[in-house]
Amino acid sequence: MFTASTPALQSLRNSDSGGHSERIRWRATRHRRAIVAVLVLLFVVQTVLTWTTSTAVPTERGGLSQQARRGRQWYQEFNCTACHQFYGLGGYMGPDLTNVTRAKGKGPEYTKAFILHGTARMPNLGVDKSQADDLVAYLDAMAASGTYPIRAANLTPYGTYKEMIPDGE
Amino acid sequence: MESRDPTAHLFLLFAVAALWIGAFFGVIGAWQHVVPGVIDVVPFVKSRPLHVSLVIAWIFMAAVGGIYHYLPETVGVPLHSPALVRAHLAIFLVTGLLVVGAYFTGRFGGREYWEFPPVLAIPIVIGWLLFTWNFFRTALRRRTPWPAYLWMWATGIVFFLFAYLESNLWLLQQPDDNVVRDLTVQWKSYGALTGSWNMLVYGTAMVVMERITGDTAPARSKSAFLLYSLGLTNLLFGWAHHIYPVPSASWLRILAYVVSMTEWIVLARIIHQWRRSVEASLFHTRSFSYRFLFASEVWVVLNLTLALLISIPAVNLFTHGTHITVAHAMGSTIGINTTILFASIAYIIGDPVALGADARARSLGFWLLNGSLVVFWACLIGAGLVKGWLTVMTDLPFETIMNRARPFIAGFATSGIGILLGLTLLGMQVSRHLLLRVLGAGGREREEWT
Ligand code: HEC
Repeated sequence: MFTASTPALQSLRNSDSGGHSERIRWRATRHRRAIVAVLVLLFVVQTVLTWTTSTAVPTERGGLSQQARRGRQWYQEFNCTACHQFYGLGGYMGPDLTNVTRAKGKGPEYTKAFILHGTARMPNLGVDKSQADDLVAYLDAMAASGTYPIRAANLTPYGTYKEMIPDGE
Repeated sequence: MESRDPTAHLFLLFAVAALWIGAFFGVIGAWQHVVPGVIDVVPFVKSRPLHVSLVIAWIFMAAVGGIYHYLPETVGVPLHSPALVRAHLAIFLVTGLLVVGAYFTGRFGGREYWEFPPVLAIPIVIGWLLFTWNFFRTALRRRTPWPAYLWMWATGIVFFLFAYLESNLWLLQQPDDNVVRDLTVQWKSYGALTGSWNMLVYGTAMVVMERITGDTAPARSKSAFLLYSLGLTNLLFGWAHHIYPVPSASWLRILAYVVSMTEWIVLARIIHQWRRSVEASLFHTRSFSYRFLFASEVWVVLNLTLALLISIPAVNLFTHGTHITVAHAMGSTIGINTTILFASIAYIIGDPVALGADARARSLGFWLLNGSLVVFWACLIGAGLVKGWLTVMTDLPFETIMNRARPFIAGFATSGIGILLGLTLLGMQVSRHLLLRVLGAGGREREEWT
């Protein structure tokens, strides 16, 4: 985030503000353009790397079958994200669903029951049986990709996480 | 040189309307957390996207309307094409109505924050392209070097376009669809999206400040550009702090961690200059606009501190996926963005001259908004602390955890009503003035700037 809006700024007068010739100001502008250009270039590199190699998870574990892809579509059509999260990302009315199909005491059947019927707190959204199967396949692909929440033990002394290859529960 | 074309004012007027309606659905959504199943006509699946999309529309329309308004004066030439401004507004309004209609009828299909059917992204992009074209055709005619706010606007405009397209990239089927990459790319785009509107809004703050004080040096100083580059760096490389727990490549997280920490510099600087800010605010007490700018600075300090703390992975472990994230989002979008945008609108409608008659109602609105927001923000942090601690440290089921957090959620929903009331008072005031201007009755134009 960035702020430069404030009165704090008023007091900042330095070399390139006033009194200097046009030429010097244009030279400053060239420097500025160069800085922005370098940042943008680095961003392009980062973007390509993110699109191609950002996953620590091999495709077999995070990959989507045809059925799971349909499930992803239903997940969006029914707007499950309004209430649910993956890896803590999403709405907070309902629980995180990252590992629900593989968690102890839960599983695919349990998951499907919620999706088909809802509960007192989760509305019945009118999902039909085949859509529910697709959704379970999608949720299971998510469960295969990792574990959430992460427990405190996974921290390095610098405050970063150690590798997060899932242990598969 | 200030635009006499009422279209910019219309942008602002519709922006204020979107804000009010969006905040209204926000209050409904908040209460649906407290009393599940309440207000069934607009269930939570609908109220949440209505809230989110409308308030995002407020930020964009208010920022864009302001830019259309300030740009001619800033550059010293008239807008390249007023007709394109009208086309942009028309496209935006029609798309907005379609989005709201889609939500009401339960037609979703997009992803979080853009849950409408993805085909509606097309007119949004077209409208933005018109804006981009108009902006650059006008701004590039400036003969002297750009002040920092032109850089910021240009950056915000370009990166919105890129990030918005990237956030729709999932529409293209990929041969090796992978959920982790999917989440990573999605949140990469969201980082740049919020960064891009922040650029538009902070640039606006800088212009308003320049106009109020009449001092053009700060926006042309080296340090303004330095701050801009720091902001840009964070926009470009800091986004992965949103997704620390996602098992994507570690370099992304480490990069984001390092980049995010550079913002301590910004925080230290604001605190260092704090006394001068306070003195300046005492000097400008007559300016309502200035009051908003000062409030936004307070919110910057609070939110930046919070953001910096939760960008440390060890802290993020407990705060991620909790209402602390919401506290940060609300603190920034209301405390900083909305406050700055009100400062801009107040300035445009003739502050401080218009301060006279209804000053009391406006003051009340200002304090209701900011006071309620303090409670709102604190309650969200409280709820987040409870949820985060219990989720990581215990095996309690979700419902039990949420019940422990309930008192905070109730406080949050209650203070939300205060925010809505504050916005109502402010919104009524500024819309009346905007409407007068649109209808051509705005006699209290600030001549000294024209
Ligand atoms: C209006 C909010 C809302 C929406 C929309 C919603 N859910 Fe839920 N969901 C909940 C709540 C609240 C719970 C917890 C219910 C309970 O324990 O009674 C829940 C529970 C679940 C559970 C059980 C989780 C567990 O760990 O026990 C699953 C699975 C689930 N939802 C899947 C879905 C799917 C898939 C969709 C979209 C088709 C969806 N939900 C849409 C609110 C929602």
